[in-house]
Amino acid sequence: MAVPAEYYLVLSAGLFCVGLFGILTRRNALIFLMSVELMLNAANINLVAFSFQWGNLTGQVFSLFTMALAAAEVAVGIGIILVLYRNFEDLDVTKATTMRW
Amino acid sequence: MLVELLIVTALLSSVLVMLAPDEYAGQFAAALSLVPVAASLWMYSVFDGSGNALLAGSQPAFETVAEWITLGAYTINWHVGLDGVSMPLIVLTTVLTTLAIISAWTPIDERQSQFYGLVLFMEAALIGVFAALDFFLWFVFWEAVLVPMYLLIGVWGGPRRKYAAIKFFVYTNVASLVMFVGFFALVFGLGDSISSLGLPAIAQALNAGELGSLAGIDPPMLKLLAFIAMFGGFAVKVPVVPFHTWLPDAHVEAPTPVSVLLAGVLLKMGTYALLRFNFTMLADVARANAEIIAIFAVVSIIYGALLALAQQDLKRIVAYSSISSMGYVILGLVAFTPHGLGGATFQMISHGLISGLMFMAVGVIYNETHTRMIGDMSGMADRMPVTAGVFVAAAFGYMGLPLMSGFAAEVLVFLGSFQSEVIQAAPLFTSIAMFGIVIVAGYLLRAMQKTLFGPFRLETDYEIGRAPFQDIAPLIVLLLLVIALGVAPDLFYKMIQDSIAPMVELGELGGGA
Amino acid sequence: MAGETFTAYALVPAIAALPFAAFLVSLLFGRYMPKGGALAGIFAMGGSLAISIATLLTVAGILPGDPAYHETIWQFATGIDTFDLHLGVYIDPLSALMLVIVSLISFLVFVFSLGYMNDEGETGLARYYASLSLFSFSMLAFVFADNILMAFMFFELVGLCSFLLIGFWFREDAPPSAAKKAFLVTRFGDFFFLIGVVGIFATFGTGLFANVTRDGSTVQSFPALAEQMMNGQTPAMASDMLDIVGMSPQAWITVLGLLVLGGVVGKSAQFPLHTWLPDAMEGPTPVSALIHAATMVAAGVYLVARMYGFYALSPTALAIIALTGGFTALFAASMGVVKQEIKQVLAYSTISQYGYIMLALGSGGYVAGVFHLTTHAVFKALLFLGAGSVIIAMHHNENMWDMGGLKDKMPVTYYAFLSGSLALAGIVPFSGFWSKDEVLFEALIHGAGGNPLFLVAWAMGLLAVFFTGFYTFRMVLLTFHGEPRTETAEDPHGVRWNVKFPLAVLGILAATVGFINMAPIAKLTNLHIDFLHTWLGGSELVAEEFGTGLHHYEVLLEEVAGVSAAYPIGGEVTTMLASAAVSLGLALAGAGLAWSLYSGPEPVEHTNKLGGVKTLLMHNYYQDEYQVWLARDVTLPLSRAADRFDQGIIDGIVNGVSSVSLLSGDRVRRIQTGVVSNYAALLTLGLTILLVVFGLVGGWF
Repeated sequence: MAVPAEYYLVLSAGLFCVGLFGILTRRNALIFLMSVELMLNAANINLVAFSFQWGNLTGQVFSLFTMALAAAEVAVGIGIILVLYRNFEDLDVTKATTMRW
Repeated sequence: MLVELLIVTALLSSVLVMLAPDEYAGQFAAALSLVPVAASLWMYSVFDGSGNALLAGSQPAFETVAEWITLGAYTINWHVGLDGVSMPLIVLTTVLTTLAIISAWTPIDERQSQFYGLVLFMEAALIGVFAALDFFLWFVFWEAVLVPMYLLIGVWGGPRRKYAAIKFFVYTNVASLVMFVGFFALVFGLGDSISSLGLPAIAQALNAGELGSLAGIDPPMLKLLAFIAMFGGFAVKVPVVPFHTWLPDAHVEAPTPVSVLLAGVLLKMGTYALLRFNFTMLADVARANAEIIAIFAVVSIIYGALLALAQQDLKRIVAYSSISSMGYVILGLVAFTPHGLGGATFQMISHGLISGLMFMAVGVIYNETHTRMIGDMSGMADRMPVTAGVFVAAAFGYMGLPLMSGFAAEVLVFLGSFQSEVIQAAPLFTSIAMFGIVIVAGYLLRAMQKTLFGPFRLETDYEIGRAPFQDIAPLIVLLLLVIALGVAPDLFYKMIQDSIAPMVELGELGGGA
Repeated sequence: MAGETFTAYALVPAIAALPFAAFLVSLLFGRYMPKGGALAGIFAMGGSLAISIATLLTVAGILPGDPAYHETIWQFATGIDTFDLHLGVYIDPLSALMLVIVSLISFLVFVFSLGYMNDEGETGLARYYASLSLFSFSMLAFVFADNILMAFMFFELVGLCSFLLIGFWFREDAPPSAAKKAFLVTRFGDFFFLIGVVGIFATFGTGLFANVTRDGSTVQSFPALAEQMMNGQTPAMASDMLDIVGMSPQAWITVLGLLVLGGVVGKSAQFPLHTWLPDAMEGPTPVSALIHAATMVAAGVYLVARMYGFYALSPTALAIIALTGGFTALFAASMGVVKQEIKQVLAYSTISQYGYIMLALGSGGYVAGVFHLTTHAVFKALLFLGAGSVIIAMHHNENMWDMGGLKDKMPVTYYAFLSGSLALAGIVPFSGFWSKDEVLFEALIHGAGGNPLFLVAWAMGLLAVFFTGFYTFRMVLLTFHGEPRTETAEDPHGVRWNVKFPLAVLGILAATVGFINMAPIAKLTNLHIDFLHTWLGGSELVAEEFGTGLHHYEVLLEEVAGVSAAYPIGGEVTTMLASAAVSLGLALAGAGLAWSLYSGPEPVEHTNKLGGVKTLLMHNYYQDEYQVWLARDVTLPLSRAADRFDQGIIDGIVNGVSSVSLLSGDRVRRIQTGVVSNYAALLTLGLTILLVVFGLVGGWF
């Protein structure tokens, strides 16, 4: 009695949307980072769900890679945020626009 | 292997000169550039090519073919060779480069080693353009010429050098793109009938009528579109009115030696490519639209001359008159008669020498006076008699004085175009074009009268003296060459005739398309 | 050349080569040489004169050799499947005669220059003598040219030399301007000439003046081919050309003839391209003598004579030549009447006299035209050199009203000048009388023979005789007679042998050269003393093989152009005598009027009596004004407008394209706000739109 794949997909979509919502509406860079993590995890759920569905381990392996990538991303991201804070004394992403052109 | 040797020598010289200290770079570059001069003159003396390199039954001299890259269904060869059209152009390039380097000794006073290095690099690329017989190879050289030219104008130019350099680069580069698209439409239209990008193969396949349709465009239309794209692309380089506006800006801003090469050799790339591509590969289209092309030619001649009449800057005058002179080349090409095609090719050489001479003469005066405005000076002949004498001789050469090469070229073009059966109303077109010789006399005589003659007047805080020998020497050499070719056009004209003779009948039967 | 006997013809190229060598020597070493290189020129011209005379004697049969000669000397440009262009030498009676005239006048001008330039301490002598040598070279090569392209080439070089010499004193304002004008106006004529040359080559495939043998086969000349075309045997090439232009042979020959005539009108200073010539007086006086008598101006009419076989095919072209000539003769003579400077009077007389030559050639008087060309060369060179002598004496003041009474101070100049003046006015027995009389006689009889246009031209020419007599003697009286009117005229600068010698030679010639063709006396006495007539008739060889003889032309004129003679007053002899009497009478009347107005010791100006006409004449009928207007107020503004169009519209479009790219780039980049949230929103939006589009296209909904 397996849970049908659709349920996982709905969960994943929901999680993704939460992350997306966070990115679109919040200004704090830390929240941004967290939202990105949420979206990555939504993808992970998908990978694991389909891996379970097809009985294929590739998806799970891939989700491990994603987690490693996410860790690296957070490391870089935190670094950027620290520099951002040092320069702007703020974590508001809409303030730091001088690099645009 | 001689062509490769020429190119490699020029490239090596370029590198060596770049590494040389600035103080000696000029002399060093001039000495090194004598090697290609000697080599090309020797090649000229042993030249044994026959026929037109792009057409069947030809035997280009100094030919090498080596497989280079395979690209899908096409082989790209290192394919170079010279026929009677390219040989004189190579001689022109090497000779003019050396003279331009010598004429740069006085005006160029910073970053000399880079300057001369770039000039030599450009020489290598120019030789490549005129010698390459494979499209890919040709295109590499074609584009390679732009880079040193851009830098030469942009770094050593006048006050508005950035504007001029960017205009030159972007304009000609966009034109190259248009031409490239047109050419590849032909290549793809030819499909399986060619297996390499060799220009002779493509030209012969096109003339044999093997063009298929491409993307739903049937061959005649495809040919026409490709012709327009290629004509437009090359017309910028020539330049043909109305694609000419980069030229005066580039000339005015470029230092004298660069102007010499720009007018003397770079413009010939455009007419040379027209001759090779449009008028050899798509001769039937050229024939069918001869009147329109002739109108472009005549408008260039008359309009360019009229513009020259309105200028106050000596260099602008010569620049606009180049537009006018290149119109004669187009007129001769489209006539498809032996003297028309031959005269047009001869005019390329002749104009290269004479416009180089003119620019150098203006440059020598500028070196002393630091102005080129005809309103600023008067009676320069009093202070610079030899320069003035050469200037007068050069100006009369430009006006087509007999026994100088300009006359031979122009009269051959006129003889050829007058009796052309390709252009409707050829005598009318020719007669209008001939009126250019009256206007050219008008503006050059006016410029001479105002700057060289009359009482001496020029406001400077130093004495104007005679020009140094090193400035005059290249002028004298060029003048002698102009006279030599004017007295004996056959020096080049025989090999030119041999190469263009197969083109006369080209495309006459409609090419089967 | 082994086995062939040596003739003077082998040296003919040297006639031109010697002055060319002198040009190089003077140009390169002149400033290190004594006399600034004059001696090189004098020796070269002496050599040329000697060879020319030898050539003349060979043509005459006195020295061994054929009576005519052709040789190709240089292959110019070789074409494949098309005509070759070459340079060659063609000697027949006409060119042999002209060679002698040109080299003689050039030689004397070189000698005279020693006095006019060297003795006066001019600078730039090397340049002067180099240009003068180049001038002689160009003209001599033009004279013996065997084809019309070569003729055109040296015709243009003559133009260059005139530019260099007219503008010799380049440190002043006026000479360079005059030089520019001379070159430009003649260039305008040469534009038509060049079309003509190109047209002739394109039609006939050859520009040869005479039928010659080249490489063992006979090549026909273009006049001969044109003649065949008129007879209906059109060569293939020519019929192609006729198809292209869509004209009948007759019309096309006329058009070609008139195009070539454009060059003639320019160089020979015929109306309306005569305006450069009076300005050309800015050059040194010996140069004026050379230009007017033997080189540049003569080149034009010589060309008509050279290709007379072509013009003789077209009655229209002939009529236009005659009318241009007649009109110019009268028109220029009327302007000469009011001029105050001695060289100006001579300038207008030159224009007028070349009008006569054109009148003669146009109305079928080939011999008369060549005859007047010969006599005019002598007496006009004389008058200019005489004027030069006067100008030296007057310290370079040229105004005749500042002169007077020079007769006693400089007798050699006076008598020589008088001889030239009597010739110019056409007073018997000086040379001008014989030639001018023959010109008018030919125009009259051919006009009476059914060509009313010739009669119109004749009437104008006849009227000009009166004016000629008047202005000539006005000039003589004002310059030499009466009392000195200024201090310089009281005490003129002396002249040396190098001035007097050329004057003496030419003075004697001006009085006697007319005896080579005393047609009226020949007719009256039935003696064969019309030597020039016989001379130009040439031998069988010239007439039949080369096709440039007088008899050939006469046949053509009669049969093709329909020019025939009629004698309105009794027979030939009476008509001739009547014509001579009328023209002599008019000349004497003109001279008499001048005498009555200006002969006293203190002559006064009478020109004001002409009222408005004087203003018109002083302004040269406003011919200069309209040409300057054309150049300055039409062409220049047009070019400026073109420049504005070019800068504004054409370059504007180019710059516009670049501005549009820049501007649109500038606008588009504003999407990039730098706010990460916006980017994320755009990403999301883009993804959504893509999904929707795919969905719609893929039919998911």
